[in-house]
Amino acid sequence: MALEIRRIAETRLAPDERARLVTVGLEVGEESGLEPENLRFCLAAVFAEPPFAAPRTIIERPPGDALRVTYLEVDDGRPDD
Amino acid sequence: MAVRTIDVRERVMARNDLIAASVRGRLQDAGVVAFNLVSSPGSGKTALLERTLEALDTELDIAVITGDVQTQNDADRLARCTDRLVQAVVTNGACHLDALQVETALDAIDLGRTRLLFIENVGNLVCPASWDLGETAKVVVFSVTEGEDKPLKYPKMFREAGYAVLNKMDLLPHLDFDVAAAVANARSVNPALRFFFTSARTGEGMDAWYDFLRTRVEAASPA
Repeated sequence: MALEIRRIAETRLAPDERARLVTVGLEVGEESGLEPENLRFCLAAVFAEPPFAAPRTIIERPPGDALRVTYLEVDDGRPDD
Repeated sequence: MAVRTIDVRERVMARNDLIAASVRGRLQDAGVVAFNLVSSPGSGKTALLERTLEALDTELDIAVITGDVQTQNDADRLARCTDRLVQAVVTNGACHLDALQVETALDAIDLGRTRLLFIENVGNLVCPASWDLGETAKVVVFSVTEGEDKPLKYPKMFREAGYAVLNKMDLLPHLDFDVAAAVANARSVNPALRFFFTSARTGEGMDAWYDFLRTRVEAASPA
């Protein structure tokens, strides 16, 4: 599951954006059968490898069995506005 | 640091489900019934398949795909029970099979000479519940050496399964396992779940399982 999430991030980001990924936003439904902390542990492992640089994971827990990558946040390299 | 947000909203299983649909279509076109055997490690999936191959291999033209994290021990065991190819998928650490692995394994199987396909998934009652492999149905195998509350602990697996095999029934006299409670727990999660009570070691209850397989294969065969 974590590998599939990593694959989605790879396809959604340009090669030069992958090292600048800072947040992976997920929905993990309460009935998805997944334990968020276990998933977080696996994601930390698969996103620790280059080209990624250990982005944080934000997990929402909606009702139902949704399992979705909702958003990615990338440091765009510019100072804060 | 300025952060740019990229809206994704992609189901994690979307790509797998697409491949699974393709696998399902391929199997249906060939008239092949496919059962995805799921369980915790040690419940007796391989023993159940050994018995089934010994009894029905030539009658039902059975093909097998096995998934293991490491080794192809299960495939080697099953290969002793059939002349047909047993396709071993070593997942190299992944705790489940995915549809792409099954699609690739099917390339080596002569579907024209197959009427029943077993996919022996990696022993794990969590992740395999979420991965559609293109099967006709999931069959969850659990044994009387496990707790009666397995269906309550792993509800998604029992909800996703169409059939349950309660195995190692020969050990029942030596255990405190409550069969009625196990069945009630499973049906509280999935009221439509159909049960088989077997001992792959002694053969107890296997005839009902064989009859079920014959019926399903017959129903799927072209007229």
